[in-house]
Amino acid sequence: MKKNEPVKAPPLTSLELLGFAGRLAAGGVLAYAGFLKLASPAEEFAYAIETYKIVPGGLALFAARTVPWFELYLGALLIAGLYTRITSLAAGALLLFFELLLAQAWLRGLPVTNCGCFGSSGGNSLQFEFMLNVIWLFAALLAWRFGSRLSLDAVFTEN
Amino acid sequence: MALKFNSSKLMAAGFVLALATAAALKLRVTDYAPVRKVADFRALGPTGAPVVIYEFSDFACPSCKFASQYIERLVSLNGAKLRVNFKHFPLTSMHPWSLTAAAYADCAGRQGKFWEYGKLLFEGQEAWAQAPQKPAQFEEYARKLQLDFAALESCADDPETLKTVQLDMAEGDLKGINGTPTFIVNRRRAVGGRQLLDAARLNNLVTDEPGGK
Repeated sequence: MKKNEPVKAPPLTSLELLGFAGRLAAGGVLAYAGFLKLASPAEEFAYAIETYKIVPGGLALFAARTVPWFELYLGALLIAGLYTRITSLAAGALLLFFELLLAQAWLRGLPVTNCGCFGSSGGNSLQFEFMLNVIWLFAALLAWRFGSRLSLDAVFTEN
Repeated sequence: MALKFNSSKLMAAGFVLALATAAALKLRVTDYAPVRKVADFRALGPTGAPVVIYEFSDFACPSCKFASQYIERLVSLNGAKLRVNFKHFPLTSMHPWSLTAAAYADCAGRQGKFWEYGKLLFEGQEAWAQAPQKPAQFEEYARKLQLDFAALESCADDPETLKTVQLDMAEGDLKGINGTPTFIVNRRRAVGGRQLLDAARLNNLVTDEPGGK
C-alpha cells in the first residue's frame, strides 16, 4: 500500500447489516414512541403510568414529562448512529426497564387497558407488548454489538 | 469503551437533538381549553364560579364512573365556587352503546334529568355497556325517573341530538383528548380521578387538613 492512499473500508458483513437494521429498529421505535407521547399532554401518559401502581401520582407526572424526551433523544441518536455504543446500551437499559414494568403488571394481573407504550392512542394487551418489547431489546443488543458501521460514528472516526 | 472528545461529532449530536426537540415541540398540543359552551342542563354551579371544570366522559367507561363520584362530591362541597360542564366523549370503538347512551342522557336533560339519568347509566354500566342488542336499561332508567319515554326515544333518534354529541367528540379530538375521563380544570388538564383530586387540591376545592373538606 502506498503512503497517503485512502484506506478502503472492509466490505459489510451480514452481522453488521443486522446491527444497522437493529439500530434503525430500536432507534425508530424509541423516537416514534417519544414523539407520540410528547405530542399529547403529559397528563395522559401520567394516567397510563398510574395504572402500573408503582409510583405516586406526582412522580407519575414527572416521569411522563421526562421519559418521552429520553426516548426521543436516544432514538434520534441511534438512528443517526452517534455514540452508538453508549446510546444502544442506554436504549437497552430503558427497554429492559419497560419490560420489567410490563412483567410486574402482567404478573399482578393489573387492569392496564392502555400500556402507554405509544402514548395514549389505543393499546395492545400487556402480553403482546411484552413480546414486542423483547424484539426491540434484541434490536438494541444487535445495535450495541454490531451497529457501528453505516453510522455517523464511522464518518467521524474516518475523518 | 473509551470516549474520545471529538468536537465535530459533539456538534452533530447537538444538531440531531435540536432537530428532534424542534419537531416534538411543533407537534405538541398546547391549547387545552374547550371552546364550545355546553347546554345549561349539562352544567352544574353558577356561571361566574372561580373554578370551572370541563368533564370529557363516557357513560360506558368504568374509570368515568369512578371519577363521577369525585365530581359529585366536589360539587356538593363547593357549591358556588365551582361550575362543572359535562362534555360527551364516547369511546365508540370500545363501547358500542356509549354514543346512544349519551344521546339518551341529553334527551333526559331536555326533560330536566340529565345528571340523574347519567348517574343511573354509570351505576348500571356493566349491565348495558356491552349488550348485544339495544339495552332495555335506557327505557328502564327513563321510567324510573318518570320521564316521557316516547319523547325521549324520538329525541335520541333525532340526528340533531347525535350531532351535538359528535360535536363534543370532535372538539375532544381537536384538543388532543385520547382517553376518558379527562378534565380541564381552569385550563389545566387532569386525566382520571387521581389527577382530578390533585387539580382540586391545587384550586382549594379540597384540603388535606384534618377536619377539612
